[in-house]
Amino acid sequence: MSQSPAIELKNVGRRFGALQAVRDVTFDVARGERHAVLGPNGAGKTTLFNTICGDFPPTAGSIKLFGEEISHIPAHRRARRGIGRTYQQSLLFDGLSVRDNLFVAVRGVLPNRFSFLVPRRDDAFVAKARDVAERVRLSHVLGVAVGDLSHGQRRQLEVGMALASDPKLLMLDEPAAGLSPVERPELSKLLKDLPRDLTIVLIEHDMDIALPFADLVTVMKDGAVVVSDTPDRIQDDPVVHEIYLGHGGHKH
Amino acid sequence: MIAWLQSRAGRWTAGGFAFLLVLPAILPELMPANQANFWLGNIFGRAIVFGIIAMSLTFLATYGGFVSLAQMSVAGVAGYVVAITVNGAAPSIVGGLTYVTAIPLGIVAAVLAALFVGVVSVRTRDIYLLMITLALAMGFFRFVETNIAWFNGYEGIRNVLGPTVFGLPFRDPHVIYYVSLLLAATLYGGVLYLVRSPFGLVLQGIRDNPRRIAALGYNVALHRVAAFGVAGFIAGCGGVMMTIYNIGISPGSVGLGATINVLIMSVIGGLGHPIGAFIGSLIFAFFDTFAATIYDRNRFNTLIGIVFLVIVLVSPDGVIGLAKRSYAYLKAKSAPQRWDKPT
Repeated sequence: MSQSPAIELKNVGRRFGALQAVRDVTFDVARGERHAVLGPNGAGKTTLFNTICGDFPPTAGSIKLFGEEISHIPAHRRARRGIGRTYQQSLLFDGLSVRDNLFVAVRGVLPNRFSFLVPRRDDAFVAKARDVAERVRLSHVLGVAVGDLSHGQRRQLEVGMALASDPKLLMLDEPAAGLSPVERPELSKLLKDLPRDLTIVLIEHDMDIALPFADLVTVMKDGAVVVSDTPDRIQDDPVVHEIYLGHGGHKH
Repeated sequence: MIAWLQSRAGRWTAGGFAFLLVLPAILPELMPANQANFWLGNIFGRAIVFGIIAMSLTFLATYGGFVSLAQMSVAGVAGYVVAITVNGAAPSIVGGLTYVTAIPLGIVAAVLAALFVGVVSVRTRDIYLLMITLALAMGFFRFVETNIAWFNGYEGIRNVLGPTVFGLPFRDPHVIYYVSLLLAATLYGGVLYLVRSPFGLVLQGIRDNPRRIAALGYNVALHRVAAFGVAGFIAGCGGVMMTIYNIGISPGSVGLGATINVLIMSVIGGLGHPIGAFIGSLIFAFFDTFAATIYDRNRFNTLIGIVFLVIVLVSPDGVIGLAKRSYAYLKAKSAPQRWDKPT
């Protein structure tokens, strides 16, 4: 029997009053696949992400995670089922240190997450938080308050927090947003080093990051899927050219 | 623990606690014995007792990012349960219990009441949370004021004298002072411990970013309700002490004035750290006691209102914030400037 896909979206829609932000989105992401979602501003990419992650439920259609219907369960229960995510604008705990941010992230999906006891220095989860910090190259700022980090370090911590719970599905919402040209290669390398068996869905404006990274690409416009294909074909697709460059545009 | 004591905040806190421990020995050296007892009981003892209740508010504000106006009512629940159930209270409503059983019962009732407040208000934020907790507080006030059978209505319940401690009566200013001080220190230490635990870190995460906390797998509503429960425990301890300190409890103890007073104490001291509750409470107790000497007893509200306005305008984060900025300023001023090269 074949395994169910990591995500199955069937006719997913999300409406905010009169605004249909996402309409009739249907596509699957296979287990272990790296899937990029592209599209201009306002295409509905982040709304689709938020609908999948449970920030709000879809107003139409269904979402399945590893074969299980999750359309109407809250965000924290979806996270426990294996979704880890980053945000377009870093959502971190500025009053806490990098270590504490990662420690909180590590424990979120554990059954004993609710504890009134201060962890010991040799606590396994504190050690894991240190390991994640090393993985996202933040070991040297473990004790620093997150509010004092540079923008690039905040983006690295975003990825670290999403990885900390060992998700089965990683959703990355423009991880390179706002990074300088100097900081981008660092993040690019970090993404490249992610385990190959981890299912990843990536929203990214920067084609130089998204296309080499993805196995499949879905392009959205006005809340709907325009095309889904391999990166090579997407690069040559005239419809995608038109969306990104307008009529008569040239490929980069 | 040792690392914390070596930090600046730890040194200041330990120094302050040591000073308060020896204060009863210092005061008689500075003033006549009756005045020393007055300062010990009516200023410092009272400040500590009400500081505990205010700390329940600053705990939620500092680490959870939300302000509840129901904390005085929660304290009142503990006070009323003790007054209703303990032997010797007048009038005797239920009675039959000693303080050893009545006090834990009162604290449990306060925690349950706080959890109820938490469940009712868990989906609200900011001004809406203030309004809903104020509404609950006023509902409780009206309930105890109009219910004669259980709360003796407007008169309240008197003669709650407190237990004897090592054979000494609770009414002795030294006893009430030291019991309050040790209780406050324990609760304060407990808060500082708790905020380093996974629960405390998640609570601070909710303060900074509830959406992210949910995305990490935590149930935000459950944690917020639990935070209300913890604050209820603190307020309950304060409520029991308040009832014994006042030798009873009446609707006036949990009315609008008392509710707002706790908020004023917290804001004056500073909502950025739990110690602010005790500093604000001390300033409040000082002005409340000496308003008549400073200006006019009937003008206490005007006086404390002016103090409140000045603090909010000069330092929105209260006396704590003012002290922090002054310390940083003086440190920067005393530090050698880069261009002050030795010749």
